[in-house]
Amino acid sequence: MTSVQIEVLLQTLISGFLLGGLYALIGIGMTIIMGVMKIINLAHGELMMVAMYIAFILFSLFHIDPYLSVFIATPALFILGVAIQKYLINPVLKVESILPENQVILTVGIGMVLANIATIIFKSDYRQTPVDYATKAWYLSDIWKKAPIELSLSMPWSVSFVIAVLITACLWFFLAKTDTGKSIRATAQDHDAALLMGVNVNRMRVITFGLGSALVGAAGCLFIPIYYIYPDIGGQFTLIAFVITILGGLGSTVGAIIGGIILGLFESLTATYVGMGWAPVGRFVIFVAALVFLPGGVASLLKAKKFGR
Amino acid sequence: MKHLSFILIISLAVSLFAAPLYAADALDLTIPLPLTGKQAKFGEIMKRSYEMAAEEINAKGGIKGKKLALSFEDSGAKPEIARAIVEKLIDVKKQPLIVGEYTSSCAKAVAAVAEERKTPYLVVASADDDITTQNYKYVFRQNEVNNHYADALVSFLKEIVKPKTIAILYESSAFGTSGATAMERDVQKLGAKIVLKEKFETGAIDFRPILGKVRQAQPDVVYTVSYANEAQLLMKQIKELRVEAKLYTGGAAGFAIPEFIDGAKDAAEYVVSATLWTPQLKYPGTKEYAEKYKSKYGGYPSYHGASAYAAVYVVKDALERAKDWSRDGIRDALKATNIKTAFGPVKFQDKDGYQNQNFMDTLAIQVIKGQFETIWPKQHASAPYVYPVPTWRERR
Repeated sequence: MTSVQIEVLLQTLISGFLLGGLYALIGIGMTIIMGVMKIINLAHGELMMVAMYIAFILFSLFHIDPYLSVFIATPALFILGVAIQKYLINPVLKVESILPENQVILTVGIGMVLANIATIIFKSDYRQTPVDYATKAWYLSDIWKKAPIELSLSMPWSVSFVIAVLITACLWFFLAKTDTGKSIRATAQDHDAALLMGVNVNRMRVITFGLGSALVGAAGCLFIPIYYIYPDIGGQFTLIAFVITILGGLGSTVGAIIGGIILGLFESLTATYVGMGWAPVGRFVIFVAALVFLPGGVASLLKAKKFGR
Repeated sequence: MKHLSFILIISLAVSLFAAPLYAADALDLTIPLPLTGKQAKFGEIMKRSYEMAAEEINAKGGIKGKKLALSFEDSGAKPEIARAIVEKLIDVKKQPLIVGEYTSSCAKAVAAVAEERKTPYLVVASADDDITTQNYKYVFRQNEVNNHYADALVSFLKEIVKPKTIAILYESSAFGTSGATAMERDVQKLGAKIVLKEKFETGAIDFRPILGKVRQAQPDVVYTVSYANEAQLLMKQIKELRVEAKLYTGGAAGFAIPEFIDGAKDAAEYVVSATLWTPQLKYPGTKEYAEKYKSKYGGYPSYHGASAYAAVYVVKDALERAKDWSRDGIRDALKATNIKTAFGPVKFQDKDGYQNQNFMDTLAIQVIKGQFETIWPKQHASAPYVYPVPTWRERR
């Protein structure tokens, strides 16, 4: 390996890891909803879109940095999620239907409504928050003058990654240490047993949906300094979250984190060594491979080693 | 019961809105274009421009005394939907003329339907070469084809930059692929060598992997074909990774819209792009259209808008000359078109294997001090070009 090849490999790994961290945050939201509700929330990407627009409005009207809007958009999305669960999904849960998955179909509808409302309000223009630090980066040659290779670390990407890690850590703390968190986990593990133990399952569902929305909302705020928005952006992130949820093992938080990072690294490596046009193919190869060879996802591996959950 | 009455009210309201605004002295023209989905941005620019032109025409008495009543149908940039819309327009509404669509894949689908049903179709902003090389008799194209999109850019490269090596990055869409193929052919003419040709997916987030390869290949010129926002993300990441090349160039679309400069900011500086039209052109009506659009919507339109605006005038011209408003009458009139529009001269020719194709001067623009300036060819230039461009390190 020449030094240039090493440079390309390291740069690929760095960007794959950073991307994976952000993917993980998107995936976790879907996975905890999956765990508790046993449904795939197909409006997930659209919820992220809503958060991105909130960050966009705050930036363009009040010049609030997108990273600060995490503290505004996340609670807003929590409330939105709670409202969706309470007033839209819960009523549907009670209805007897031919299709047991009618809540999933409902989430598709919610996603469409959100995307179209955004089209009406914001038009289909591409928007972005042109922050000053968008192209700032740290360079290896600045720190180590005689470095044989040149690596760079994008500032907004790194900041987004660090915040994503912090949020994930807070989530872990919440699920592992607090009463509500434990009740959520109990509901996810065994709905009936939790009910018998006096857990307010309905309330846990509402909180979980809010929590999942809040997480993807935070991800939206972290994405906007490095990406752009338009009303129909949701679909591609729903897809990514879905792949991560399957890859990580349905409902497993740790699985989703590892799944996200695997997906990020895999996409970057495919892009470098196979071709960037193949990245979506890579995404589905890993998706199908996970379904065939590892139906329980990363979570089943973790369980086999008596670790995690 | 409460629910039932609610539904009734809603459906009543919907049917009221949906009722066709039909007037006896109006000429109905329904235009299919993408108003949702990834390409909606361009659909919207075009919709506004169609409307502006129709308003102007109606204010001056319409077409042969009839008011032009435009309506729009959203295809979402999906060929199957575009096809269904046009089938409906031709078979049910008996519309004798189709105008519109944006993406090349939709235009291809529409062209096939139009030809089959012998209905003239005016392509406004779809660039894939195949659309006018099928020996279609009823398909007319007003904008330049992909193969010649970059003509001005190529001549700029040939005379000023003289690159030895070129890297081509392109989006995996019909437009991106044919743009890259055309560039590949032009590179031969330049006597340069292609050191890298890489495809990326639409909506990609992270371009660093291919940029690593660009850096490894060390090309003189980087040429990119993409819609919308991939262009600005790519330039931002090029700046961040400090990928040095003598010149960064782009093939219209994403590199030629105001969002490119807004989004990429200083990373957009000195980027040269091919384009078909700029507000700085000196065609009759160009400036008026551009200024009117700007005062109404707060920004200059891209060439898509200008082409759409001009298309309504081309239609007006053809309808006024047509012996009757039958499909064939309109087709013959379109074929004989020879007018000057805000988009440039329009004349449909059979040449170089194309049928009913309008050939026009293409342009090269460069971002100079955060503004698009026309730099090439010289007779259209609004500012002198900047070359050589400073390296990323020097720009700090």
